[in-house]
Amino acid sequence: MADGVTAVLVDDHPVVRAGVAHWLSTADVELVASGEDPAVAWDGPGATADVVVLDLHLNSVTPATAELRKLVEDGRRVIVYSMRSDDEIALQCLEIGALSYLTKAEGADHLVQAVKAAAEGHSYTPPALAGALAGDRSETRPALSPRETEVLVEWFQSESKEFVAQRLNITLSTVNSHLERIRVKYAAIGRQAPTKAALVARAIQDGLIGLDDL
Amino acid sequence: MPDVAVVTLTRRVLLVVVLAVQLVLMLPQLIDHPHAPPAWLAYALLTAVLAAVATLVAAGSPTVPPILAALPLGASVLATTALPDGASLGPADWGFGLVGWYLLLVLVDRPPALIAALAAHICFSVGWFAHDGNGDAGTAGVVILSGTSFQLGVLVITRVLHRDAELAAEAAAAHDAARTREELARQREQDLRAGFEGQLGALLPLLADLADERVSTEDPGTRLRCSVAAVQLRRLFAENDDVPDPLLHELTACVDVAERRGVVVQLAVSGTATPVPTEVRRELVAPMAQALAVAHGRAKVSLLRTATEVRVAVVADAEHEPPEAAKPNEVTVETSVHSGLVRSEARWRTA
Repeated sequence: MADGVTAVLVDDHPVVRAGVAHWLSTADVELVASGEDPAVAWDGPGATADVVVLDLHLNSVTPATAELRKLVEDGRRVIVYSMRSDDEIALQCLEIGALSYLTKAEGADHLVQAVKAAAEGHSYTPPALAGALAGDRSETRPALSPRETEVLVEWFQSESKEFVAQRLNITLSTVNSHLERIRVKYAAIGRQAPTKAALVARAIQDGLIGLDDL
Repeated sequence: MPDVAVVTLTRRVLLVVVLAVQLVLMLPQLIDHPHAPPAWLAYALLTAVLAAVATLVAAGSPTVPPILAALPLGASVLATTALPDGASLGPADWGFGLVGWYLLLVLVDRPPALIAALAAHICFSVGWFAHDGNGDAGTAGVVILSGTSFQLGVLVITRVLHRDAELAAEAAAAHDAARTREELARQREQDLRAGFEGQLGALLPLLADLADERVSTEDPGTRLRCSVAAVQLRRLFAENDDVPDPLLHELTACVDVAERRGVVVQLAVSGTATPVPTEVRRELVAPMAQALAVAHGRAKVSLLRTATEVRVAVVADAEHEPPEAAKPNEVTVETSVHSGLVRSEARWRTA
């Protein structure tokens, strides 16, 4: 594989597993293991995969947040892939330490970008998650600059970063760095997790964000 | 003319009649004939009643205490018993007719009491005539009939006036009520029409143009107007539905119309529901409805509710600019077109 990204998928629906395998293969990501049991991410080839794509609803009504926590605490880079689109659960997954939260209504493009970003230890914020962050009214939410809020809202509304860049008269990479800064601010609050700490450390190292901003 | 006015006017007329009868007709009879002294007491009693009633009427009092009728009755007894021998119901009997007028004056608004008092007065006079009269029953009968029939005639006229006044008052009240109902109905219809015109927006002129064949559905411009009107109408239907999240409900209704037209619409919602007044909802949804009406291909509608703002936005593939919407009062609307995409957003500050 070209850039050697490997992934493991935990999902209880065979059709989803097949679909995701196909999407990832067309984007040079190797799906090394998949199954309905979270054990596939701990044993065999899945144990060393760069990215874990985790379905939040595995044959149960209660979301698999405990599984997510275990994986994150082990330092795994996890993307939550869920059919649920409510803001609360999305924000909860970020708080635990997921690098992205994708709803199954969002297409292949977002999943591929999320996996590639996660493989590098970066966050990925799809439009629905941007909406959840913009609508976040919790008391512990980090302070965002007006520009960051505007990027978040425009991205949620248009689903096109080119459109956001054009509207706000900034470059595409500035849009991305605003989104990354927002996620770093979120990673800096709440409970500690290796992925969150890495996200913050890297952002400070890269000069994306200063200690004063946190 | 209400009851009170009829009674008061009747009393005023009767006051004049009684005064005239007492002074002009009866006083000479009292003076010319050898009455016993109590006759003068009776005359004084009657004069006192006249003064009392005149005072009450002048003071604007609508009623006269019925107990005052006791005085004319007392005067009747005094005057009759003080008559010279054999003068009962004859030319010297000044009291018979006058007491009748007095009873009428006091009890004109109480017909049963008046009849009873008159009957008592007549019975006593007749009884006295039988006891001390000259025996000329014919003359006495004529005196009784002429005096009493006059007084009963006045009573009947008063009752007729009274009834007519009541009927007139009822008719006037019914007329007023009908006028009020008519006015209310007219107002309600006007409100309804004004309300609907405001909300129907582009629909009424479009229907008029189609009906007059001024425009044709062959024309893409007309079809655009139709799709705008369809979205507006659908939103209006959804407006009064009882749902937990009316804003989202109205957005969904508009999205539904666009989807029927073949636009692939994605609706994203973020944040928790906040109460939004109807007027503000209309203004929030209108720009997005206009934009959806011109959309082709794909569109994304989003509803974002933060702690301080409600924002409804649409980004859609569109060839045309959306039609001009009515100027909003409560919300800020921004519409722009970038490389084949129309973006329209309405924002409302909650706090």
